[in-house]
Amino acid sequence: MVLKSLKYTLKTALTTTEVTRLYPEVMMELPANERGIHELDATTCIGCGSCARVCPNSCIELVPYRYGNPLKNRKMQFPQIDYGRCTFCGLCVDECPVSCLKMGKRTEIAGWDRKDIVYGPDRIAVKKFSDREVAELEAEAKRQAEEKKKAAAAAAKEKAAKAKGKENKAKAKPGEGGEA
Amino acid sequence: MSAIQSAFPGAVLESRVESDRRLWITVDPKRLVEITQFLRDKKDFDHYSGAAGIDRINENLFEVVEILTSHGAHQVVVLMKVKVPRDKPSVRSLTGLYWNANWYEREIWEMFGINFEGHPELYPLLLPDELVGYWPWRKDFKGYPDTTTGERAIEQVGPDGYTEFKIMPHPELIKAGVVPERPKYPTFREREEAEIKSDSEMIMHMGPQHAIVPGPFLLDLLIEGERVKKAFLDVGYIHKGIEKIMENRTYLQGIVYTDRMCYLASITNNEAYCGAVERLLGITPPERAQYIRVILAELSRIQSHLLGTGEFLTLLGAATYSPFQYMIIDREDIVYLMESITGARITHTFVRFGGVRNDLPDGFADKARPILKRMRERTEEYMDLLHSDPIYTRRMRGIGVLSPGDARRLGVSGPPLRASDTPYDMRREDPILVYPDLDFKVVTRKAGDAEARVEVRLEEILESIHIIEQCLDRIPDGPIQEKLPKKIKPEPGEAYYRVEDPRGEMGFYVVSDGSEKPYRVKVRGPVYAYMQALPPLLEGAYVADVVAIAGSMDACTSEVDR
Repeated sequence: MVLKSLKYTLKTALTTTEVTRLYPEVMMELPANERGIHELDATTCIGCGSCARVCPNSCIELVPYRYGNPLKNRKMQFPQIDYGRCTFCGLCVDECPVSCLKMGKRTEIAGWDRKDIVYGPDRIAVKKFSDREVAELEAEAKRQAEEKKKAAAAAAKEKAAKAKGKENKAKAKPGEGGEA
Repeated sequence: MSAIQSAFPGAVLESRVESDRRLWITVDPKRLVEITQFLRDKKDFDHYSGAAGIDRINENLFEVVEILTSHGAHQVVVLMKVKVPRDKPSVRSLTGLYWNANWYEREIWEMFGINFEGHPELYPLLLPDELVGYWPWRKDFKGYPDTTTGERAIEQVGPDGYTEFKIMPHPELIKAGVVPERPKYPTFREREEAEIKSDSEMIMHMGPQHAIVPGPFLLDLLIEGERVKKAFLDVGYIHKGIEKIMENRTYLQGIVYTDRMCYLASITNNEAYCGAVERLLGITPPERAQYIRVILAELSRIQSHLLGTGEFLTLLGAATYSPFQYMIIDREDIVYLMESITGARITHTFVRFGGVRNDLPDGFADKARPILKRMRERTEEYMDLLHSDPIYTRRMRGIGVLSPGDARRLGVSGPPLRASDTPYDMRREDPILVYPDLDFKVVTRKAGDAEARVEVRLEEILESIHIIEQCLDRIPDGPIQEKLPKKIKPEPGEAYYRVEDPRGEMGFYVVSDGSEKPYRVKVRGPVYAYMQALPPLLEGAYVADVVAIAGSMDACTSEVDR
């Protein structure tokens, strides 16, 4: 009986190829949809905060960050994730309306301090604009804002003019009536 | 239904037939016991599946829902509701009819303060003795520490220089009546010491940290010589209050918490919760999603059985051929398959209302088939190996025998019940998803001992492999997610949904009040029932066999304590 058990032992020892992985040197191969550390595409994030709202542990907070797209993300607010609380459930990724938040294959988070595992947008962003692009975009945003302001001002003027015209008409009417 | 109405005119206040498998009735509290006895004796409702308490604070009522089913005679689930006024809640206890009503009623009593007349031992079960304040799951329970003021732990520096943080209220608050003081009950220790009758008896502690199950619980044995005279169980060391937490989360966020109840069965827990909410929303997942869910549920069953069996075998000292290491190696393959679908190894959060999170990766079937084939060979090897090992058979055969009658009476489900010659499987009893279309058999054994329980598990692995292979052949193309409303707000109502966990019958009872958050979630777990059945099973056994008996149940304390 013991021999039979030993037969299985030997068989396993001789046939099974990989049992122990040389972990720090060789990382195991992770599948394509592994849920590891988040990857933020700062160029498309619109800063809506739906990831922060759906998080069951409220570990996502929106913080200001420079290298995003000011045209889409007006207030320049991007998610910051506290990995001390994150459970890697992936609800934030599902909820993102522009699919700018993904989860990647990076899984090592260790740090010396509790602050070290709070990852701001600069640490999770995989795609971001350079300084020059940001400056251009900002200028564009400014121009657009000004244009909008102008348009708004023009609209307001027009409105005011119309209102005035109406008022004049309204004023004129009782006058007419009075005359008649 | 009509039978109940004709037998008890005027006792049924409301009734609703949801489908041919669900019957909701509201009965007169005074006639509850009579009706239950009628159902048990005349209508074959011989399985008491659980009970839930609901605090209807707006209507000033408490509801107690008793869930009654049958062991294979028919497939109807009766959810019998009793309404009692909130100021003096009291319900007749069903412990005289069903032995296993004991713990369920005790839990409702300690959480809601509903008194059960005629209950033999109304003592706290899950909550610690130090908890301050009454009845924590009532809707008007404020809790301590006070969340409104943010006052939490009190810092105290002792004379030896150590700083201690205490979460206890000031004595003045207790005196003023702001924080009510709980009445004093005999503690667990006092109760068990009262049972010592002579000098030849003593109490042996196993736990709270003991290896028979992965998780803390205290098993105290009153022994006389080598035999166990009586066993006492104390659970609640890792009580997390998940049911209460889920009342404060949206429906979607609740899925995350179902994972954490038992990490070996996280897919089936997801499935049970999502299924209950789907019933509330009135949607069914598309066919491809159903197949994916079945594949994952069966993969999760395989890995759970492998780990459970392997771990248990190390306890028995089966070290010569180290089956634990083999099973871990094999489990790694299965877990890797699951990871390639869900992206996580144990806490999947994968099932969604009306679908699944993502589709199968490309080439999944080609990757899975060789692994499953190898898995089948290995499982057959294990069965051969265990069967031919004389030491193993000596330690397991005829140990901890549960006769079919006892197994039904004690309310266990899953592999231990099937090992006692009762083909009771939720996949057959309450078919969900695509299980009715699939070909599989319910594994049973006649013996009912520890060996049979392990054999049932190993053979179930083979059945699961068979199911997955069928699914891989048949899985259709198509969408994986049904259209959902933007905000998940089910109509007011309630649903009960149960699935076959790796360990037995797992049911979720979800009550909605029309808001974004569930009004009440009750988990009916399989391990809760095993744990309750452990003391009578251990009576009369040898101390050396306790590990073999308790370990062969494959329990998971985390799910008991929820």
